[in-house]
Amino acid sequence: MKERGKEDFSPRVSPRSDTLASGLAVAALALVAGFISLPILSLVIWTVSEDSWRAMASPVAIDALLLSMRTTAISMFIIILVGTPAAYVLARADFRGKRLVDALVDIPAVLPPSAAGIALLLTFGRFGLVGRYFDAFGVTISFTTAAVVMAEIFVAAHFYVRQASIGFAEVRRDVEEAAMVDGAGRFSVFTRVTFPLAFPALVAGAVTAWARALGEFGGTVIFAGSFRGITQTIPLAIFAEFQSDIDAAVALSVLVLGFAFVVILAVRYLAARMTENQV
Amino acid sequence: MNLRVHLRFLTALMSAIVLVGFTGCGQSSNNSGSDGADKKQGRTLTIFAASSLIDAFGELGKTFEKQNEGVEVKQSFESSSTLLIQIQQGAPADVFASAAQEEMDTAMKDGLVAGKPEVFVKNREIIMVPNDNPANIESFQDVANPGVRLVLAQRDVPAADYALQILDKANARYGDNFEKQVLSNVVSRESDVRASVNRVVVGDADATFGYASDYTIDIRDRVMVVPIPPDLNIIATYPVAALKGAKDPELAKKWVELVTSKDGQHVLQKWNFEPAA
Repeated sequence: MKERGKEDFSPRVSPRSDTLASGLAVAALALVAGFISLPILSLVIWTVSEDSWRAMASPVAIDALLLSMRTTAISMFIIILVGTPAAYVLARADFRGKRLVDALVDIPAVLPPSAAGIALLLTFGRFGLVGRYFDAFGVTISFTTAAVVMAEIFVAAHFYVRQASIGFAEVRRDVEEAAMVDGAGRFSVFTRVTFPLAFPALVAGAVTAWARALGEFGGTVIFAGSFRGITQTIPLAIFAEFQSDIDAAVALSVLVLGFAFVVILAVRYLAARMTENQV
Repeated sequence: MNLRVHLRFLTALMSAIVLVGFTGCGQSSNNSGSDGADKKQGRTLTIFAASSLIDAFGELGKTFEKQNEGVEVKQSFESSSTLLIQIQQGAPADVFASAAQEEMDTAMKDGLVAGKPEVFVKNREIIMVPNDNPANIESFQDVANPGVRLVLAQRDVPAADYALQILDKANARYGDNFEKQVLSNVVSRESDVRASVNRVVVGDADATFGYASDYTIDIRDRVMVVPIPPDLNIIATYPVAALKGAKDPELAKKWVELVTSKDGQHVLQKWNFEPAA
């Protein structure tokens, strides 16, 4: 199989069309880079020229940033805690209905978040399928920070679970089995062998999931509502400010841009250091 | 092997999606392309209207299309404050119908309005609660009861502005803390008045401030009205105007004429709006 594949893809093209192809590819990359950087640049230019920096320190902005930090941290804690073993089972075990579960995990990734919000509302809202029983005990979820976390987990968990299960699947079974032959138990094989080997995939999945949770809007605005300090995360605050004060909306966008940038750089740096230490 | 089959399937699927997307685009651009060739066929009128107008204007849009053959009416319903920002940012609107004078005044000040806006209807605020009334709101004062889950529209949305003015007036009657107590019950701020009414329709909120016109036939089996004392209520005035950027000023003018005409007023009153005069 592999031999044939190699043959299929072997380049049978002249050097000249090769240069053309790489030129086009470089142009494509420039297009992608420009398309991403121009809007970001526009945000910064607006902030500088309209002098809307002070809107970043407004109570609305600070409340939203703190809420976003808090909710995404809780979401990621739960996603990693539950998602890691779930991903391992998905990668290693064979069971009836595995394909179904596998497909189910992917659904939130293709479902528009607003549809997810409606679905959550009909499930956990006061008159929802499950929510009505909570309500009977005096527990209401809609309009609370818990609802924000639930919306974030619903849309973001997929990205971690999927990447983690791919990471686990790539760890070769014979490496695990060798460790077991050496007398290690199943759990310690997981913590000492499988987990470290899959670690880069786990980090990548966690970063994607976190970014998705940070950007979560549709599900939150429908299921959790929007209230400062309780349910109004940064994306919701941007939307709310856009309806009255566009300078503040721009400032918030720049703020979250910087925040996301710092977090992603920090995670990359830490992950690189941790993998270095393990090798 | 398996991966290959998957990849092939995925490629086919993606190509199908892209193809359908492009043909769709092609068709719509064909339509706009025929604008010049056959002017009668491709005329469109774009209306930006306050979300409370969604039912009445929806009906009037159909009337307008019947009266002006070949014209397509496109409408965008959001809070007047959002629509104003979109118009300021150059959104392609021909007509602006606002739920408050303030947004229209700003649009005029910014030189976006053609001619003089006309107030075409009035509206009044009501409180809406779910039919089973979980918070036992029997009168206007009850919205100040502790623990009521009250939903309001976003700051600067006319429906919320009017509500604040009403609460301001109510302070004089029910004590200085009344407004503060009511506002401490707010659990969510929605993007427009219809979104906040829907919170009550779904039953997650105990109460909201909306317009009399928001109490539509569709929701009457799920929602109850608690009236606001008439002397505390604020009468909302809705101005409408053709915009300077209108692609088809003639159509825009016709729309303003329709909503102020006897037929137009009849439809608006059917949807619980009050006559302007």
